[in-house]
Amino acid sequence: MLPEAKRVEYTGTPAKVLQSEPAMVIEWPRSLAHRHTYGKLSPFFQGLARGKLLATKCTNPECKEHRLWLPPRADCPDCNQPMVWQELPQPVIGMVHTYARVEYAGAGIELTTPYFQIDVELPGVCTIFKGYLQYGTAEIGMKVQARFRTENPTNTILDIYWVPMPG
Amino acid sequence: MITLKEGNWRVPKWNRKVFAVAGGLTNYKKFCPEMKLEEQAMAAFRQMLEQNDLKRSPAEVKGLINFLACGSFADHFQDQLLCEAKVTDYLGLDPMYDIGVKTGGATGGSTVLTAAMAIASGYADVALAVGWERMSEVDTRTGNYYISTAACKDFETRLSRIYSAYYAPMAVRFAWAYNLSEETRAKVAVKNHLYAYYSPYAQQPGKYTVQEVLNSPMSTYPLRFLECCAMTDGAACMLLCDEKTAHKLSDRPCELFIAGGSHTLRVADRRDMEIPLLPHESPDLYKGLRKKEGQRWPGFESFAAARFAAYFAYRMAGIKNPLEELDLVELHDAFTISDIQTYGDIGLRPYGQEPDYIESGDAYFGGKCPANLSGGLIGTMHAVGATGIFSGIECLWQLQGKYDRFHGDPKIWESFGKKKPEDWKSLQVPRAKQAAWVSHAGVGSHVTVGVLRKAY
Repeated sequence: MLPEAKRVEYTGTPAKVLQSEPAMVIEWPRSLAHRHTYGKLSPFFQGLARGKLLATKCTNPECKEHRLWLPPRADCPDCNQPMVWQELPQPVIGMVHTYARVEYAGAGIELTTPYFQIDVELPGVCTIFKGYLQYGTAEIGMKVQARFRTENPTNTILDIYWVPMPG
Repeated sequence: MITLKEGNWRVPKWNRKVFAVAGGLTNYKKFCPEMKLEEQAMAAFRQMLEQNDLKRSPAEVKGLINFLACGSFADHFQDQLLCEAKVTDYLGLDPMYDIGVKTGGATGGSTVLTAAMAIASGYADVALAVGWERMSEVDTRTGNYYISTAACKDFETRLSRIYSAYYAPMAVRFAWAYNLSEETRAKVAVKNHLYAYYSPYAQQPGKYTVQEVLNSPMSTYPLRFLECCAMTDGAACMLLCDEKTAHKLSDRPCELFIAGGSHTLRVADRRDMEIPLLPHESPDLYKGLRKKEGQRWPGFESFAAARFAAYFAYRMAGIKNPLEELDLVELHDAFTISDIQTYGDIGLRPYGQEPDYIESGDAYFGGKCPANLSGGLIGTMHAVGATGIFSGIECLWQLQGKYDRFHGDPKIWESFGKKKPEDWKSLQVPRAKQAAWVSHAGVGSHVTVGVLRKAY
C-alpha cells in the first residue's frame, strides 16, 4: 500500500487538443528509432561506402539461375541455397530501363526535389536496380555510370547514385 | 525464370458453394474525426444488416454469424494492434473467432477470400468480411511515407517515400512498350471521378476534362494528383453464406468465386517468365509481345499476381471469355496506370492492347463491360483494408439490381450531409448477371480476382 505522501504523480505531457468539434481530436506524438539489421546483406551496404557494388550469385550447379542478383539476396529463391558475393567491375555502367521524375515526395525525403528516380539494367544481372540520377534528364535506353558516396556515407541505399555517360 | 509445376497450377476448388448476400459501406472521407474505426465498422455493419432486404432481423442474422475475417492494411495508421478484437466486440459478435488479414492494398480481397474459405470448408455457414482503415491519423505526407514502406525498405523506400513514384516508372515503361498516350490515362481519371459524382459514398467526385487532368499538379511524373487514389477513412462489410443459408436470408444471392496471386515486392526483381494463358487465349497470342530490346513479362508493364489470380478465378467460375461473359468489373484503380495495366492481366484485352479497352468505349457505362461504375479508388475511396470489400459490394449491388437503391436514395446522401445532384443518373447495368472485381497490393505483390454470379 502506497502512503499518501508517495502518491502516484502524472509525469507526462498533456495531449494537445487539435479540435473539439465535431469530435475531440488530440495529438498523439510518435518518435521512435528502430534497430534495423541489414543481416546477411551487410557486405553490400558496407561495400557502397567503400565505392564497391556487390551482387550475389548462385553457384549451385543444379540451379538454372547463375546470373547476378542486384539488389542482392543472400539465398537463391530458385534452389534455396546460399549465394556468394561478386563485385561488379568498375566503372559500373548500366542502361536506364525506366524512370520517374519525383516532384512530391513523402515525409522524411532525404533528396532535394525534383529528381529522376531510375531503374537500371546492368550486364549479367537478372534483376533491375533502382537508384537516382544526380543530374541530367533520364530517358529509356540512356547509359549511366554509378557513383558512390564514400565521404560521409549515409549507410543506406542512397550511397549509390548515377550520372549520365557522356555521348 | 520462375518455373511452375503441376501442383502450383492446381485450380482452387470450394468444397461447397459460397454466396454473398449483403453489403454495407460508409461515407468515405479524407478525415473523419466524428467516428473511431470501430464506429465506422458499425456504420457499415448496420447498413449491411438493415438495408439489404435480408429476410431475417439484424439480431437473427447476427445469431447466424460464427466467423469473421477482418481486414486492415497498416498498424501504422490505426496505431492500435489487435483492432480486430475491438471491432468484433464493438459489433457485438464476441466470442466468435476473427482472423486479422493483411495483404496491403489487396487486404479487402484477401479478407473476402478468407471468409469464403471459412464457408467453403464448412467452418462457418455465415461469415462476415469486414475491413477498415483510418488513414487520417497522420498528415498526408506522413501517410505517403507509411504507405511507401510497402515498397522494399532497404532498396526502394528511401528513394521517394511516396507510392506514386513506384507506379510512375511503370507508366513510363508501359507507354514506351505499348504506345499508351497521356490522354488515354487521363480518360481513366475523368471516367472514375465522374462515376463517383453519382455515388453518395464518394470522396473525390468531379466532372473533369482530359485537359484538366493533364493540367493538374504532378505527383511523380507522369502521374498527376487527379490520376491518384484517395487516402480515406472508412469501412465496409460483406456477408457470405453457404447455399442453403443464402436462400434463407436473401431473394437475391450471388455465387462467389475468388482466388489470388502473389509476386515479389520489388518490380525490378520480376524476371522474364512465360505468360500463363487465360481460357480464351491461344499459345501463339504473345509470340511477338517482347519485340523491343530488354522487354520481359511481367516486367514493369504487367502484374503476374493479377494474371495468376484471374487464371485461377476464371477457371473456378468456369469463365471462358471475360469480356464476353462479364457484365461489369470493379478494378483497383489506385493509379490510372495500374488500372490500364490490369486490363491485360485479367483478359479484357490481350497484353499490348490495353489502351483499346478505354478507347473502344467498352469500359464506359453502356459499353461492353463497364469498369468502376462505383467511382473506384480514384473517385470514391481507398480506405485500404475496406477497399477490396467495397469493390465486391458494388458488384453485388449491381447484380442484385440495387444500384439505384444504394446510390440514388436522397436519404443516404442526406445522412452523409450531402445533397444528391440534380443531374444524378443511374449507373445500373441492365440485366447484369456476372461481375468481377480486383483487389491489388503494392506494385502488384498480391492480387485477388473475385467473381460474383447472380444465383436467383
